[in-house]
Amino acid sequence: MTTLVERTEAPTRSTTLRTLAGVEARRYARHPLFLVGAALMVLVTVSNSNNLAKGTGDAQVLAVGDGTTVPAFFLGVLGVFVGYRLTRSMARSSEAVEASPADGVIRTGALCLACLVPGAVALGWTACMSLVMALKAVPVSAAISSADRGAMIAASVVYAVGGPLFGVLVGRWTRFPGAGLVAAVVLVAWTFLGTFGLLMPASRLGTLIHLNAPFTSWVSSDGPNAPLWLAGGSPWWYLTYIAALCGLAATAAMFHEAVGTRRSRLSRVLAALAVLAVASLLLAAAPDPTRLTL
Amino acid sequence: MTAAITVGLTGITKRYRGTTALDAVDLSFRPGITGLLGPNGAGKTTLLRIIATVLAPDAGEVRLLGRNPATPDDLADVRRRLGYQPQDMGFPRAFTGFGFVDYMAVLKEWTARAPRHDEVRRVLDLVDLGEVATKRVRALSGGQRRRVALAQAMLGDPELMLLDEPTTGVDPEQRVSLRQVLSRAGERSTVLLSTHQTEDVAALCDRVVVLDQGRVRFDGAVIDLVATAAGRVWLADAPDPAACASWRTGTGKHRNVGEAAPPGAEPTEPTLEDAYLLLLGDRALTTEVAA
Repeated sequence: MTTLVERTEAPTRSTTLRTLAGVEARRYARHPLFLVGAALMVLVTVSNSNNLAKGTGDAQVLAVGDGTTVPAFFLGVLGVFVGYRLTRSMARSSEAVEASPADGVIRTGALCLACLVPGAVALGWTACMSLVMALKAVPVSAAISSADRGAMIAASVVYAVGGPLFGVLVGRWTRFPGAGLVAAVVLVAWTFLGTFGLLMPASRLGTLIHLNAPFTSWVSSDGPNAPLWLAGGSPWWYLTYIAALCGLAATAAMFHEAVGTRRSRLSRVLAALAVLAVASLLLAAAPDPTRLTL
Repeated sequence: MTAAITVGLTGITKRYRGTTALDAVDLSFRPGITGLLGPNGAGKTTLLRIIATVLAPDAGEVRLLGRNPATPDDLADVRRRLGYQPQDMGFPRAFTGFGFVDYMAVLKEWTARAPRHDEVRRVLDLVDLGEVATKRVRALSGGQRRRVALAQAMLGDPELMLLDEPTTGVDPEQRVSLRQVLSRAGERSTVLLSTHQTEDVAALCDRVVVLDQGRVRFDGAVIDLVATAAGRVWLADAPDPAACASWRTGTGKHRNVGEAAPPGAEPTEPTLEDAYLLLLGDRALTTEVAA
């Protein structure tokens, strides 16, 4: 015979969201693809540690201000799969889940909050890299302000959050198997198309094409002997742009589940974020588009 | 004193692409266990899904636990007070039994960790899964998975429990154990039990609703339905071609369910299954006996 457990807490939406976000964050942190991505990120970083000592390669790129490729790929692109799979994982139990008081907006919101896990890892990685650089006294380029360098490095954290959020969005809006893979391919293709802007002569249009990509790199270096150069545009407005894209992904995912007044409220947020994304992209491409050779 | 109505359905209609799953159904339920019987496609699952608030009717009014689930505030309140075990419940791959029920408990707003875990352990013990709670759900047998699904529906001892074929795939020993659990739940809660197992209804329910083609064919006490078969069930040496249903029993005699006594037959006590077969005729035979 079992004794009925008394509930001590009064249920509220915010406490449910917090608790569920914690549960989803633990699920994210234990997801095999996330663990593989994080392990590969550490492995690649360690294998490049010689460059740090010499102040070449990754260290040189970081010193200029853009060390985003590693977290963008291992946490951002792989995160698309993780976000997608976590979102779809409860589909098999959807009827029981839908009959619970935690509605779809709360459940999706919790998944979006769980996407902060890879962001925290990317932040830790960036902090470690910066610390190592400071300890190794890697020379930092004076051609770029520390504020702009900060925006470039901060983008790596947003990339690591944005990929999984895109996965959550796709998981909410699509049902076909393999949608996560398609989403990751779309993201990589979009990023790849952005590089065409760099093939064009330096111009605002080229900068716009380059910066519209959700993952972009400011620095190009084909080898140790090649000169480093910096793409044109405003890193801070670009950071605003990709943060707005993240907000759009999260809001659009929650919008799928919303009904009634909440749906109309979310549609207004979506419109505001869309305006912010377009405006910040235009502003990111507005400054002098000349590429700077370092 | 009669208990208050907990589920009130008025003129509930639901159609799927031209097929009428429920046709202007009027029903009300009070605390106690009610069995829902009917052939496949009768509308049992649709009815439970509507009461579980996961499906909206095309027409009609639903009142649950004194609330109108069509309004968002009432909907959340109703969902806090109901437990639902769907018919074909799948489970996420990575979850253990405990992990899954714990996840569902969070969705049911058990936010404080310690009491939540106590409650999860309680419901898993109720369905005799305490020993295997740490096993992954995919490693459990079909019957054990049904019990995991039942456990999550029992979280918080809900006032309204909707169970869609809870004993399918469960072995006889476990079925008896589950009957004990459900009969205790029926003392306080309104339990709606959709099933193909007439013996479960006979053992557990004081009321039975028979649905067929989206309409209520019978609504009343189980003994009243059984009584409709009195004098229409016979044991004979041979099958009766005119009978509604006929099969050879373990004693070698043929049980004939029909209007007229076959030659040399002896009348026998009817069961709920006999009454159900007589009520639905050929439509029941195509599904129920096979089930």
